[in-house]
Amino acid sequence: MSPAPPLIEASSVTQIFAASDGEPSWALKNASLAVAPGEFVCIIGPSGCGKSTLLHMIAGFLTPTEGSLRFRGRPIEAPGPERGVVFQEYALFAWMTVRQNVEFGLKMRGIGKAERRDKARRFLDVVGLAKMADRYPHELSGGMRQRVAVARALVNEPEVLLMDEPFAAVDAITRATLQDELLRLWQEFRISVVFITHNIDEAIFLGERIVVMSAHPGTIRSEVRIDLPYPRDRGSAEFARLYARIGAELYGKGKETR
Amino acid sequence: MSSATPETAMAGGDAHARELETRFRLALKAQKRRAVMMRVGLNIAGIVLAIVLWEVTRFLPGVNEVLFPPPSIVIAEAIPMIASGEIPNNILVSLKRAGGGFVIAALLAVVVGVLTARLPVFNFLTEPLLHGSRSLPAIALVPLSVLWFGIGEAAKIALVCWGAFFPIWVNTFIGVRDVHPIYLRSAACLGAGRVQTLLWVVLPAALPMILAGLRQSIAISLIVLVAAELSGATAGVAYMMSMGHQLFRVDVMFIGLFLLAALGFLADRLFVALTRKLFPWYASSH
Repeated sequence: MSPAPPLIEASSVTQIFAASDGEPSWALKNASLAVAPGEFVCIIGPSGCGKSTLLHMIAGFLTPTEGSLRFRGRPIEAPGPERGVVFQEYALFAWMTVRQNVEFGLKMRGIGKAERRDKARRFLDVVGLAKMADRYPHELSGGMRQRVAVARALVNEPEVLLMDEPFAAVDAITRATLQDELLRLWQEFRISVVFITHNIDEAIFLGERIVVMSAHPGTIRSEVRIDLPYPRDRGSAEFARLYARIGAELYGKGKETR
Repeated sequence: MSSATPETAMAGGDAHARELETRFRLALKAQKRRAVMMRVGLNIAGIVLAIVLWEVTRFLPGVNEVLFPPPSIVIAEAIPMIASGEIPNNILVSLKRAGGGFVIAALLAVVVGVLTARLPVFNFLTEPLLHGSRSLPAIALVPLSVLWFGIGEAAKIALVCWGAFFPIWVNTFIGVRDVHPIYLRSAACLGAGRVQTLLWVVLPAALPMILAGLRQSIAISLIVLVAAELSGATAGVAYMMSMGHQLFRVDVMFIGLFLLAALGFLADRLFVALTRKLFPWYASSH
């Protein structure tokens, strides 16, 4: 198998923020990451490791202090519909119905009403919320809102879905359902997914590759390839072994130095 | 996935379940209607009670009917004034001034609010001027306005506009400035440009604050209106009260007070009703 040229390529990116006292604070130091087309990559790490910073740079919300980011070989300079983003929560427009939220991207790109309606219906169907088209976000449960957020990103036909702890705010049962659905959508649409999480179980269940990060300063510590076939069995010995290994990557080295 | 969608009717031909749902819906409707009736009924009862208490004052010792006329006298006086068109005309004149000033202020203040919140250069340039002017009570400008512009309509509309401008501007500024960045980022990664983001995302997100400013300014419009009419006018509700004062007709002054209270109350209710109608997501999402 020849390696496919990367869809996303971050080369030695560094992000320095101003801390509250005005001193420079290293959110991310020298991070390099490549994501292949169609690949599912999970990024895991404790808070403060810069995983969200990295995702926001790929999305085009932040410009790195140093280093370069490329999408299909072209520098990333601004957000764009080819990179769909799903946030943790509160990202749906509260003043729009579910349908209007899903149609938003199409509308902004000047796509006609009939086609918008048609596509929005199709993608709401895909996430199982066709019946909720005329509801407002505040009338939906947390899980339904995230399904709408996924539909709103997918309807633009992005090449990658950037997900920033998208299931962190929903209950455990809903979370497991959403994970199953996400895998189904990923397999159906054959797009790349970059998925941020602080949950080891979630990372192993979803990712083909797990990028482990550590904090202060935010750096990429290691990468673990997960070769288990989908759907993955949380009860299997291999799953448990990987869980222990990632856990050790996350916490182990930190403890040794203390 | 479908497990997450609500069940509105039981599957299959369960006649009993459907009947139960129908009964439930009817009961819910009746309950809501009762709640509304009760509220309106108590509102009216409160007004009636106040009128009765007020009427009883004429039987108290030491109460002068000329200085504190009971409702029966006030109403008896008001009826011919309504029939002759005097009161409706005064209301109309006052409404035009207050409404005109308010609408102009609203348009200006929302535009200036958006500009100051989104363009730092414009904000820093106008900051001292706007905040300085804001501390001037509109009423303090009334004498100057009469001196400069006389007692014409434009001067009164301008005064109302001045008073109503600032709360709308300040609220719009805060609302637009504090739009959650996640909304802006969502819009950007869904392909929205600057103007599109402003129109479809920033303004609706700031709407709760803008509405709060508008509501505050409705009350201020009436206050400034009264100040402007008291110091020089030939018609209007406050002018009518001023005439009542000069002719020692306390009953006419009471009519004016009642009209102002009713106008303020109705304008506020109308505003709330309009908000509910136009922005169904707003009232219920808070």
